This record gives sequence, structure tokens and C-alpha cells, in this order.
Amino acid sequence: MSHFLDRLKFFSKNKETFSNGHGVVTIEDRQWEDAYRHRWQHDKVVRSTHGVNCTGGCSWKIMIKNGLVAFEMQQTDYPRTRADLPDHEPRGCQRGASYSWYLYSPTRIKYPMIRGRLLDLYRAERKSGKDPVEAWTAIQADEAKRKKYTGVRGLGGFVRADWEEAKEIIAAANVYTIKKYGPDRIFGFSPIPAMSQISYASGARYLSLIGGACGSFYDWYCDLPAASPQTWGEQTDVPESADWYNSTYIIVCGSSLPTTRTPDAHFVSEVRYKGAKVISMAPDYAEFCKASDLWMPVNPGSDTAAFLAMGHVALKEYYIDKQDPYFQEYARKYTDLPVQVMLRKHGDGYVSDRCLRASDFAGNLGESNNPEWKTIVFDAKSKTFVAPNGSIGFRWGEEGKWNLLPKNAATQGEIEAELTCIEGKDEVVSVGFPHFEPGEGDLLYRNVPARKLKLASGEEALVTSVFDMQVAQYGIDRGLGGANVAKDYNDANVAYTPAWAAKVTGVKAADLERTGREFAYNASKTNGKSMVIMGAAINHWYHNDMMYRGVMNLLHMCGCVGQSGGGWAHYVGQEKLRPQAGWAPIAFALDWQRPPRHMNSTSYWYFHTDQWRYETLRGDDLTSPAGKGKYKGYSLADYNVAAVRMGWLPSAPHWNTNPLDLVAEAEAAGATDEAGVAKHVIGKLKDGSLDVAFADPDNPVNWPRNLFVWRANLIGTSAKGHEYFLKHLLGAQNGVLQESGDGRENKLVKWHDEAPIGKLDLMVDVNFRLNSTGAYSDIILPTATWYEKNDLNTTDMHPFMHPLSEAVSPGWQSMSDWQIFKNIAKTFSTLAEKHLGTRKDLVALPMQHDSAFEMAQPFGEVKDWKKGECDPVPGKTMPLLKVVERNFADTYKKYIAIGPLMVKLGNNVKGLDWNTEEEYEQLKVVNGTVKEQGVSQGMPSLEEDIFVCDSIMRMAPETCGEVAHKSWSALSKKTGIDHHHLYAARHEDKITFRDIQVQPRKIITAPTWSGIESETVSYTSGYTNIHEHIPFRTLTGRAHFYQDHEWMLDFGEGFCVHKPPQDMKSFGNLSPSISQGKHIKLKWITPHSKWGIHSSYQDNLRMLTLFRGGPYVWISEVDAKAAGIEDNDWVEAVNANGSTIARAVVSQRVSRGMALMYHAQEKIVNVPGSNTTGKRGGILNSVTRVVIKPTNMIGGYVQLAYSFNYYGTVGCNRDTEIIMRKVADKDIDWLERPLTAEREAQLNPPGIGKR
Amino acid sequence: MSESIYSWNNLLFGIYPYLCLSVFVIGSWMRFDREQYGWTSASSQLLSNSGMRLASNLFHIGVIGIFFGHLVGLLAPYAIWGTIGLSSLGKQNIAMYGGGFLGILCLIGGAMLLWRRLTNPRILATSRKSDIFILIWVLITLTFGLATTFTTAHHASLGSADTMMAMAQWAKSIVLFSPKPELVANVEMVFRIHLTFGLTLFLLFPFTRLVHIWSFPIGYLNRSYQIVRTKRRTA
Repeated sequence: MSHFLDRLKFFSKNKETFSNGHGVVTIEDRQWEDAYRHRWQHDKVVRSTHGVNCTGGCSWKIMIKNGLVAFEMQQTDYPRTRADLPDHEPRGCQRGASYSWYLYSPTRIKYPMIRGRLLDLYRAERKSGKDPVEAWTAIQADEAKRKKYTGVRGLGGFVRADWEEAKEIIAAANVYTIKKYGPDRIFGFSPIPAMSQISYASGARYLSLIGGACGSFYDWYCDLPAASPQTWGEQTDVPESADWYNSTYIIVCGSSLPTTRTPDAHFVSEVRYKGAKVISMAPDYAEFCKASDLWMPVNPGSDTAAFLAMGHVALKEYYIDKQDPYFQEYARKYTDLPVQVMLRKHGDGYVSDRCLRASDFAGNLGESNNPEWKTIVFDAKSKTFVAPNGSIGFRWGEEGKWNLLPKNAATQGEIEAELTCIEGKDEVVSVGFPHFEPGEGDLLYRNVPARKLKLASGEEALVTSVFDMQVAQYGIDRGLGGANVAKDYNDANVAYTPAWAAKVTGVKAADLERTGREFAYNASKTNGKSMVIMGAAINHWYHNDMMYRGVMNLLHMCGCVGQSGGGWAHYVGQEKLRPQAGWAPIAFALDWQRPPRHMNSTSYWYFHTDQWRYETLRGDDLTSPAGKGKYKGYSLADYNVAAVRMGWLPSAPHWNTNPLDLVAEAEAAGATDEAGVAKHVIGKLKDGSLDVAFADPDNPVNWPRNLFVWRANLIGTSAKGHEYFLKHLLGAQNGVLQESGDGRENKLVKWHDEAPIGKLDLMVDVNFRLNSTGAYSDIILPTATWYEKNDLNTTDMHPFMHPLSEAVSPGWQSMSDWQIFKNIAKTFSTLAEKHLGTRKDLVALPMQHDSAFEMAQPFGEVKDWKKGECDPVPGKTMPLLKVVERNFADTYKKYIAIGPLMVKLGNNVKGLDWNTEEEYEQLKVVNGTVKEQGVSQGMPSLEEDIFVCDSIMRMAPETCGEVAHKSWSALSKKTGIDHHHLYAARHEDKITFRDIQVQPRKIITAPTWSGIESETVSYTSGYTNIHEHIPFRTLTGRAHFYQDHEWMLDFGEGFCVHKPPQDMKSFGNLSPSISQGKHIKLKWITPHSKWGIHSSYQDNLRMLTLFRGGPYVWISEVDAKAAGIEDNDWVEAVNANGSTIARAVVSQRVSRGMALMYHAQEKIVNVPGSNTTGKRGGILNSVTRVVIKPTNMIGGYVQLAYSFNYYGTVGCNRDTEIIMRKVADKDIDWLERPLTAEREAQLNPPGIGKR
Repeated sequence: MSESIYSWNNLLFGIYPYLCLSVFVIGSWMRFDREQYGWTSASSQLLSNSGMRLASNLFHIGVIGIFFGHLVGLLAPYAIWGTIGLSSLGKQNIAMYGGGFLGILCLIGGAMLLWRRLTNPRILATSRKSDIFILIWVLITLTFGLATTFTTAHHASLGSADTMMAMAQWAKSIVLFSPKPELVANVEMVFRIHLTFGLTLFLLFPFTRLVHIWSFPIGYLNRSYQIVRTKRRTA
């Protein structure tokens, strides 16, 4: 009907009235309502999810109408949980529900985009007859040409290009870089494979094939809790959210569940109805605090002290005042508390030293294999020192005794490991414990019982248990006399009583005391169902490992770890890559060549963005007098260089020369094999003609040259020290408000007076939306969105495999990441044929955790070959040197097939090897084989994304029962315990991509993880360590309270100590004019936001409309008043690192002394210029600078050994302070002016020079 | 007058009015049926409210007054005036002073709105070309309308209302479908320009935001508090 004609019936539409004429019944046209019906009508529904590192891993229905995505809706077809447990669904939050906006939004990347100036230069060179590589060479050779495009990064100027040209430039740059500088000058950054596993694998596979380095992310994001590998030898393993429901006492600290675990938070609400008590601790009244029974407002950065005080109470009441039988047994079997430690003379007393070993005894206590790696306990039954089963020495070189059964390894007789020697002590000695609270002394002496022992060497030693020292270190009086121990909880002068902690943390002593007592009481009654949920908010501090160890100590004392409903629940990124073992060979091309190049990103960016040049923190500020102090005077950068030299940490580039040329040179000098090449390299290292690149990171030969970023927002989100990235790495307009110089004092790193500007030749961003990373790139490639590609997604929060599905075809000219890198590989292969051919590459591999090389350096002694303390021996005192042959022209053909090494060498995970031939043959049928002639003809195809998904799942124990069988068999052999019952019911299961598109599928229990999938318990970490007696992958095989490595002791971190937030001295070089006028100094706290997942969704119109529509920073009413700031005023946060501008949110919720800017608010929406820098107002990381911690660099020592994303320096940024001041509306400058030559030349803020 | 002038006059005031009115009616109808979501006043008040109360009210009071002034003045049966004892000169005076006053209100308001539309970056960025065009068109028409008051004043000073009467007769001839374009063939040029612009306003009407006039929510005045829109079909 016509709307118009219908209106003509205006006078006849009223049919009847009711309620005395107040209501009327009409008959009129209701066609308009169809508009709303059509809005929700759709043609089909496809299952997908969001690859966004949020840990939700939620299954969504994607509704398609007319070939377009109309909207999305939560899926509700998850398999049911067991009868007494709430279901996982519905999963999904406001952010996921807004995703479809992106597909057709103005921020969508539709075509390949290239910086216009670069494209002009390239086309001009090509027109003159040069081939692509020659053209790129010509541009790079001319400094003026190079600067023409690098100098305008971040200032727009993109033009639409076609795929062929974009691929050609990228491939040419890669070929040029490999040839001139070496493949390790090509770097790739992509985080969190779990969120979209095939996409991650695409770039990583391409880079691994050509010899590029893949950067880590977990450590760089500072989500890696270094304390986890330190304590358990485990990167991170955590309970699924359903396990919260099994707990009866929960402390939440640093993880705002309703904000960041939105689809999981219901489990906490539900368990509270069941009777669990929930305690929250946070400096602000965060969203999770209101769902708790007690909020403990804590001073930012003082959480360690709070947990140590709770530990003090638990330890005193449940170990000293009485001995809780459950705790005693747990401590004896699963922790290092009974392990014997030697005491070293220090001044008038002693300090703790290394753990006692079997090798210290005559005849090595009968241990011929690795006696230096077998730790000792005192057996209360036989009254002798014994080497129990399970320490690391039993993991390698022998079988059957690497388990946590309480047995004397030599006799396999039952033992009872003694916790304390207080009854059988020979002496009471005074032991100094490092202390870091200012004004309280740096070494606190306390009395400890000890035994005397004659070592095999003939020396007499004093030994005591970790327990005896730990009790003393907590400041508990055991009646042994001496100072620094407390009789009662009210002694505020003794660390770590509740009264003392109240002083430091601001939390009431009574609250700490009660919480500590209740936590232990609950654990004692329930066999460990006390839980601490924690996360990024406390893990981002410089001394995050101390905070976490404070928590872990409490948990271990109370026997919580490994018990359903108990333990730590650390939630940060979406790190649980469930089918990891099937994925890794494809992602890192291990099917073709091993090893790949991996790099720890924190160290990488610390050096390559020259943040080391500004370092204000001195190594000597951090050390303890209890250490040996061999590295006195070393800068943080020096420590890292030493760590690289000693084979602890990787490095990219590794050498100050092209590794291809290095092998060629060795071969020219007569080397015929790997050993020969190594010999040549060692010779050059010794005579100094070769060195590690980080010894001179600013030398152009050591610069990173090509950078790929995909699935990431490196520049806009995670660039701690954002402005330094802009200045040195990119050579762009930057807001660094100081000149470098603080980092000048180095022993091992060469100083150049003039700082390098614009190290990268080419930066490529692969994305579906234009964010800050794209804005600073030279080429942006359009990728498929999460509704346009086939991929896999898993999370720690639930045990299901989820697909991302191609609900609609990739929009415009976009394609999936797998196809993008496949295409780049093809172009690269063509160019490489002419310019590169086949070359041999030298990969320097650190001594890795979970390989026998984790036992490279016994006793935790540091021996540096460069200092002449030992010989450089690959795999022992320096990195392993591996020669890898690369036929660069075959890159594409290798990319599209699973290579032969899967048959020849098989697969492995966490030190377990198995044969994968059967799966390889199956995949030939499932995927089909490569038809194209060449090196990969007849091999299982990886040409399509779904083939990759199915290959991963077929090769992983979590998704293929037969592989689970093979991997568990390998582990059963190592432990001597039969673990097969864990997966037996699912031996024949095979999960495929089509299966998970139908319904979420639960994974199969695998030895990759420490939890199990079962009908009776929820997944929780450490479960198999406790219930299956599989050792933790640490020195002792137990959970560690104590760290005996030399550097750990140097830095006073043998035991967990409270270390206050580190003063970054970030105002030192700031122009005094900046602190004139009304302002306030605040701590810079950057937790995760409600309206975004990192930077994703924050630019989404649907989310922007929910709050201030741009960046904002929360401050307290008191601070706001002091600085003359009112709600919604523009404010500037500034320090020497840079400046950022946002709207102020003035709220009672925030405590005094802190500014809270939610993480990853970018400068692409509503951010004006800063008047201080004259540049665009900045992001949260504009005022931060990354700082590295030497203890995180330790390697070659079991759990303190590097592994990718496993151990290494972490990118902390929480200890920053800023000056905050109001910016008047009239002073707001949006910088909307055309680019002038003058502005282009002024890269730095006014007055900042070249240093 | 020459033949050709008469032809033009016939075209403009004999045929063109029907073209304009046809487009006005059929165009509005079509747009209402086909573009329900485009049927809007496109208010920009949310983007910038400063000065809007004054400018918009001046403009709308003026323009609504003028519209009804024209409607009554031109189309009310002549007999009415006699009944209420209003002479044609008196009526002309009312038109002159009343119309002039409203016209000035409208002109001030309209000029403010135009200024705002062209200088406020947010308004300019969200303006369609037709928004700016139609506002200018209205203001030009209005200016010519105001200009006629001076001519009319001259007529009045001579004691004549003939021109006004002629135009009213012409308007009636148009709506009664017996067009007499010759009635306005000899009125002053300014009247004819004003007429042409005014007629064209009807022509442009369906293609612009002016369509919102159709939807003046007069029905709200008498609407029940509760409405049940039944699904029953009319028999």
C-alpha cells in the first residue's frame, strides 16, 4: 500500500476508544514495522568468533543477509557441563557484539595501500629499467630518497595500490635485506597465536622459511609472569573459569573479572551463592570490588607486602603454632621447602647460597647420571641426606625416576622429606636476608637452624632447608632468638608482619591478618580450595615476579596449587594455544628446517628503539649486598649483552655481520660441517673480529631493516616507549622530551653520540582496520576480518575448540593472512631465484628450557667466556650454532606443503618426542597433496586455510586421540608412571574443522598441559603434577620458594621479597618550564578497559558512544582539585618520555596519587595535539619507557632457561610517574594544517637535539 | 506587447504553475512512498545549538505567517472581505504591513540560518547541497516579495489596489483551472519575478527538506494517550 494514500484515511482510522477516550484502537498501515523486522532477518547463520586476545573465546552466530554480515548473536549450543556445575554459555560481551561494525566501517582497509612517496620513488626506479630488487637497492642507497618516505611516517599520504605491486616491493625489500644485511634483519611481530592460529602461522611460516626472526609477545606484553617459569618451570597454566565455581575462598587482585572476563564472571557470582567468600584488593574501587565481601584498598605496587603478610600469618599459625597434616604432606612432596641449601659466609653471619647436590656427596649418592643436577632432602625416616626422585637430573639421560613419588632415587625406598632441622640442628646461625624497603636496612639478619655436613671435596658446609630459611625470612619468631623476628602481628618494625605491611600497603592490618588466616583455614579444611585470581594490573610492575611469588608462596604453603578450586588463576592474554604441538611445526616451518629464529621482543625493542640510551635505572641500584657482585657497574643493557654472549637470551640480529656471509667465509676457510663452521665462528669471537649485534646496536649493519606486523597493533598498543619507537625505529614525528645520555655509561654497549633516526627500511602492516600501526607503516595489506576467514581459536577460560569461519567472502580486495603470505612467498621465490639462490645460514640458538641444554650451566654459577672465565663452547657457555640451508627460490613450494621432517624427525612438545608418520599419511588424504612440480610435490597440501586447520588438529594430542596416546606414552616412560588412563576414553577421537563448525568440541587431555579434561574435575593448572606425580619442570622438580642462581642472589631474589615500585626518574631531563603552573605528580596506572579489547573496539562507533568518545584518564577528586581540573577538562600527562592528551574523568572511585588511563586508547580518534611536544597528543605509552630486569635474562639453568614467550625480559611499564595538568579548551590544537617542509623537518619537539 | 512576450507570459503564468503544482503533489507523494527514511526536516540542532532558538523561531514564525497570508490573501473568496467590511485598500494595507513585518522577521532569521550553515564547520560538513540551495532560494523569493511592498506602497499612495486584485484573480484562475495569465501580464516586473520564484519553490519542494512541512504534527494536539494499532484488516 501507498504510505501516502494510507494517510488519506486519517479520519477513518480510529475504530474504537477505551478507558474513557484515553485510548484508541486504530486500523492503519503497519508496513513501517517491517523495517525493524528486516533488520533482524537473515539468510544464513555461520559460527565464528573474534580473534582479539580477550580470552573470551566465545562462540558467535554470524547472521548473513544479502551476502553481507547483518549482525552477530551469542551461540548457545555449548556441550553441557556436569550436573553440579553451571554451564559456560552464553558467552560473549558488548565488544564482540559490536564487531560487525568494522566490516563496512570507514576504518576498513579495502585495498593494498602504499605510502605515496615510496610508490613514486619505486615506480620511477622501475621505469628506468631496473628490476624490483635493483629498484629497491637504488632507493636505499640514496639517503635523501629514503628519508623522503620514512620521514613522513604517521602523517597519512597513502595511495591505493594493486596487489602485484605491493607484493613486489615487499619481496624486493626482503631479498635486498637478506643479501646485504642478513635474513635476521627481517623481523615479524604478531602476538597470541591462540586467538587466530592459522593467521599467526602464516607470517611466522614465511619468515621462518626465509630466516627472518619472529618476535615474542607474551613477555613483551608483560603478561608473562616471570614468576611462573621461576617457580614451576611452566610458562603459564591456569584454571578454566568454571573452576572458580569449585573454590570456597577467593582473593581477586589485579584482574577485574566483570570488565575483562565478562563471559566468565558469572562463575564468581554463582560460587558466592554457593557460599564462597570473595576478597578483592585493588587501589581503585574497580568493577570487581563491588562483587566481593571485602575490598582492601592497596597502595599501587605494594601487593607483595600484602601477600607476604598474609603468608606470615598462614605460616605461623599452620606450620609453627601447629602443624597442619595436609599442608605438611603437600609441602614435603610438591614444594622445595624440604630441599637443602648451603649457607655462605658473609660478614659476621651467613647468606643463603646454592642448593646442595648429589655431586656434593662422596660417590654422588650413587647417582652417576647428572649428579650436579640432583637436589637433596633430609629423610626423616633414615635420618640421612638423600637425592629424591624428580629433580631435573632425572629428566635427561635416564628414565623412570623423573617423578614426584616420595622415594630415595638410589634405593627407590620410601622417604619422608624433613621440612625443618630445628629438632636435629647442629647450630643456630645468623643469616642475612636481602631487604629493599627504604630506611629499614638492606640485609636483615635472622637466626636459622642448620646442620653441619662434610662435602665430598672435604670442605665443611652448613646446610639448612628452604623451609627453615623461609620461616626466618617471613620474620616469624621460632624461639631461636636474634633480631628481625616478630613475637606478634602488631610489631610494625619487623617485616613481614601484618602491622608492618599495613604501613607499606595502606591496607588495615586486621584485614590482612584475617584474610591470611581464613585463606589458610579454608585450604586446610578443603584440601586446597583457596584461590587467588590475579592479572595484568599487578603483573605489569617492574618487580612483578616478586608480587607473583608472594601469592604463590601463600598458595603453596596452603597446598592449593594443583587442586580443583584452588591455586593461582592468572589471567592476561589469550595465551592458551591448545593444539600447540600440531601448530608449532607449521607456524615455524619445523617441517622443513630446524631451528627457526625466535627473538625475545622486550630486549629487541629495548635496543632497537634505543630506549637503552635513556636508561636511568642502574644495575647497582637493584642489587643486594648478599650477592657475589661480579657484575658490579653493569648497566641493564650490559647484563643483556652478557646474557646473549653466554647463550641465555637470543638476539636478532645475532652477529654484527650477515650470517649467510659468515658461513660462506667459514667454508672458504675450509669448514665442511656444522662443527667446522662453529670452530671458525668461535675463533672470530675470541679474536674480537666478530661480536654480538647488541654490543653495538646503533651501527647501521645491526639495524632491523624490514618489519612485518600482522594481527597486532604494535605501535598503537604495545609500544612501551611509544615515542622512542617513533623517533629511532621509524624516524617519524615524535614527542620524546629529552635527549639521550643517561644510558651512556655502559661497559659492553658502544655509544654513538648521534642517535640513529629511522632504522627501518620498510614496515608492512597486515590489517583489516587502519590503526596507529598502519598509520606509521609504509605498506598496509588488506586482510580478511574474523567473519571472512577460516581459522582456529582457543582460550584458557574454557576447554573448547572454536572456529573462525568464512561467513562472507573477504570484502573488497582483502584476503586471509594465510593467503597473503602465500602470495608474498610466491613473489619472493621468483625474485630470490635470480638474486639469492641457495645459501647456508647460521642460527645461534640459546640453551632452551625443556631440552637437555637446560642443564648447561651447573650450580647456577655464571661463567662468561668473554671475561675469560671459561672457553666458549656452543650449547654450554654460548649459544648452539646451527647451520640451516635455505633454497630461497623454494620458499613458496615449501610454504604450501607439510615438509618431510615431520616423518624424518617426528614431532615433540615440552621435551617429549613422538612419531607422526601416521598422521602425515592421513593428511595426504584429508587435504590432498601438492600437484605442482618441485620440492613439495606429493606432500600434504597447505594451500587452503582449512587444510592448515585440519593439519594442526590432526597433529596435536588435544585434538587427535592417537597423538595423545603417543605423547602420553613418551611421558609415561620418563616418569615411570602409567598416565594412559587420562585420555583412554578418547583414544580414537579426531576433531576436524567441520566438527567444530557444528558445535564447540572439548579437547583431549594432553601432556602439553598440567590440567586434565575430565567428567569429575574442572581444568586446573598443576593438577597432573600433584595427582599424577609428574614433576614441575624445575631444578628440584618441585614448586620453588627459593631460587639459587647467582644472579637471583645478586639481586636479592633468592626468596620472595617486597620491592617497592621502582623510581624511573622520568622528570630528570624534563625542561623546568613544564612543571611551572598548576600541576600534580601521579602514578601512571594503565589497566584494561570495559569498552575495548586492547585497541580493538575502542575506535568502534558503537563503543565510542558508550563513554567519552575519545581518550580519557581517571583521577581522584582530591587530586583534580589540587591541579584545578574539573570533569571532562582536557588534561595533559607529561614526563621526559613524551606527552599524552585526554579528557579527565574525575571520580571518587580512584584513590589519590594515581592517574588511571585505560590501556590502548589510541591517537586515531579525537586526540588533539600536545602543546608541549607540538605533535599529536599521544597514547597511553607516550609517557612510558620499557625497562628490563637482569634476573629475567638468566639462562641455561633449568626453569631459568630461555624459551620463546616462556622466559626472558618482560616489557613492564607500570612504575611510570607523570605530571598532570589542565589544558584550556582554547589551547587545544587539532594540528589540522597541511604538511610544510618546515614541519616535516622538525621531527623532534622544539628544543630537542640530535642525541 | 509583442506576441512573444505574451507567449512567455502564458508559459510562465498559464502553464508553469500547473507544472509546479503537479511536481509538488506527485513528487511529494512519490517521495513519501519511496523514501520514508529521507522524509525529514534534517534538523542540525544537535550539532550546534548556539543562536538556534532565535534564528529558527524568527524564520519559522515569519515563513508560516507569510504562507498563510498568501493563502488567505490570494485565495479567500472576495465576498468574505465585503462581509467583514474590509475594503480592498484595507486588505492591501494589511498585506503590506503585516507581510512586510513577517517578511523582515523571516529575512533576519533566514539570514542567520544561512550564515550559520555556511560558517559552522560541523553544519557545513553535514549539509547537503540541496539544503544550502533551498535556503538561498527561499531567501531570494522572500527578498523579491519584500521588494514588492515598495511597489505596492506606491500603488496605495495612488489609492489603487488593482494590481493586488489582479494577482488574486490570477491565483483564483489557476486553482479553478481556467488560467488567465493575461491578468498578470502587465503588472510590474518585480511581481512577476516574485511569482516565478514562488512557483518554482513548489517545483523544488519534493526534492528538498521542505517536505517536512507536510508532516507538521498537528495530529498530536488531539491524540489519545494510548494507541492500539490493531492487526485487524479493514473489511
